[in-house]
Amino acid sequence: MLRITGLSRAYGDKFAARDITLEIPSGAFIGVIGRSGAGKSTLLRMLNRLVDPSAGVIEFDGVNVTTLKGPALRSWRRRCAMIFQQFNLVGRVDVLTNVLMGRLGHMPAWRAMFKLWSHEDRVIALAALEQLDIASLATQRADQLSGGQQQRVAICRALVQEPDIILADEPIASLDPRNTKVVMDALQRINREFGITVIVNLHSLELARGYCDRLVGMAQGRVVFDDVPAALTEDVARELYGLEAGDVMAEAAAPAVAVNA
Amino acid sequence: MSSVQLHQVFMRDADAIATRHADIFGNPWGRRAPTLAVWGLIVAILFYGIWSLGFSLTLFADGLPNLGFIVRLMIPPNPETWQRVIYYLNQLIQTLGIAFLGTLCAALLAFPFSFLAAKNVVPNLLIHILSRRLFDTMRGVDTLVWALVWVNVVGLGPFAGTLAIICSDFGALAKLFSEAIEAADRKAVEGVMSSGGSDAQSVRFGIIPQVLPVITSQILYFFESNTRSATIIGVVGAGGIGLSLYEMINTLEWHQVSFIILLLLITVSAIDFVSTKLRLAIIGVRPV
Repeated sequence: MLRITGLSRAYGDKFAARDITLEIPSGAFIGVIGRSGAGKSTLLRMLNRLVDPSAGVIEFDGVNVTTLKGPALRSWRRRCAMIFQQFNLVGRVDVLTNVLMGRLGHMPAWRAMFKLWSHEDRVIALAALEQLDIASLATQRADQLSGGQQQRVAICRALVQEPDIILADEPIASLDPRNTKVVMDALQRINREFGITVIVNLHSLELARGYCDRLVGMAQGRVVFDDVPAALTEDVARELYGLEAGDVMAEAAAPAVAVNA
Repeated sequence: MSSVQLHQVFMRDADAIATRHADIFGNPWGRRAPTLAVWGLIVAILFYGIWSLGFSLTLFADGLPNLGFIVRLMIPPNPETWQRVIYYLNQLIQTLGIAFLGTLCAALLAFPFSFLAAKNVVPNLLIHILSRRLFDTMRGVDTLVWALVWVNVVGLGPFAGTLAIICSDFGALAKLFSEAIEAADRKAVEGVMSSGGSDAQSVRFGIIPQVLPVITSQILYFFESNTRSATIIGVVGAGGIGLSLYEMINTLEWHQVSFIILLLLITVSAIDFVSTKLRLAIIGVRPV
């Protein structure tokens, strides 16, 4: 259970996120929706502690995550893996090593410095790559792959962390429709098969409705909607998206071909 | 809970995975052999060098008191007369002038030439190789050697020193500039081309804005470094404060020596301070 209470982040006198309170049970698939600048990324980055909250508390299974430091903080980050819009791989390094970076939290620091990955770590990395059908790319440089392949490598890196939560920040915003489906399906499978909580930021309402059990709508840093996808009415969408609401709703109303929820 | 289960899934086919990807699970020492061999070679060369150049801890330990003795003689720094202070300051200004003019002229010359040596601007292999070799030759000869040459050509004085810096830094800067140009992102060039820009325009608007910050910071660094070089070339009579420094060391005027060194330290750190400010101002704030 992830419990967020009164979480805020201010930059100067502007709030990127304001007084967010949520309860997320283990194994949920949550979509965070809203327009650009609504505070979706800030929320996810605060959960991983890449951004420090200005106020509020994040609790995971009774442990206060907001005050963690040093090894305890790194251990928390190991448990809540992050997937980024721009993949955030190390381009000049091969795919296998990129995935093995997800094992850093499981090994002594000195071994990592000399790249002395254990046999077990290698097996885990390749098993993850096989799960996502890209084991054949293991020895290629990450920057030579297509966007869809790179995002799958990033998912592998998240998986080998053996996390409790996966935070995905607009994971499909730079991908074409086919790769969008591959990546979203992979996240769904991870959620269903391994019971890993997935929190994903999405711009598209259609995808959010197709894949998520529950939607959290944000506008101007606040949570303005928190319910099952079916409860998302046109009024709510208008509040979330303002003038864009018409487009977004029309899109969502059209038959969802790409979605196999 | 879930992570334990995930771990089991990963490890389920451990042996099958190891067989399927034999190239990755092969002999770990075999994989590391090239890296280890290179490190072994580097360490071997290091020890051979120490042995063959006659490094000796005893010589070093025996000589150390001499160093302390010289330092004691240097304290306090003392130019003795005001005339000397004014003389040194004049010499220092001359040194700065040599460094400034030398760097500026070298950069102005290197800038156009660097485009010739950049493969993404001039794809002709012959021009590429010829210009690269020209740069190699120019910077292969050290500033001090260029100073000796120019002193014999144009006579003693700051003019020879400036020419020396221009020659060696032209080669170095042109090489660095052309590498910065080659590392520039092609996307910007394509953007300019796609809107109907000529080759020259695509360089002007696609490449130059990208490389300008790098080039500027390189020029500023060379100016700093040339302030030190200009001191050394003074020793061979190519102008500046170096000559006074050399004379004072030869006549064992240690108080004067330390005063000159103090002046140089202050100057170099002042230049460092100013150029850091300039560099930051030119590069601007990077988007996060």
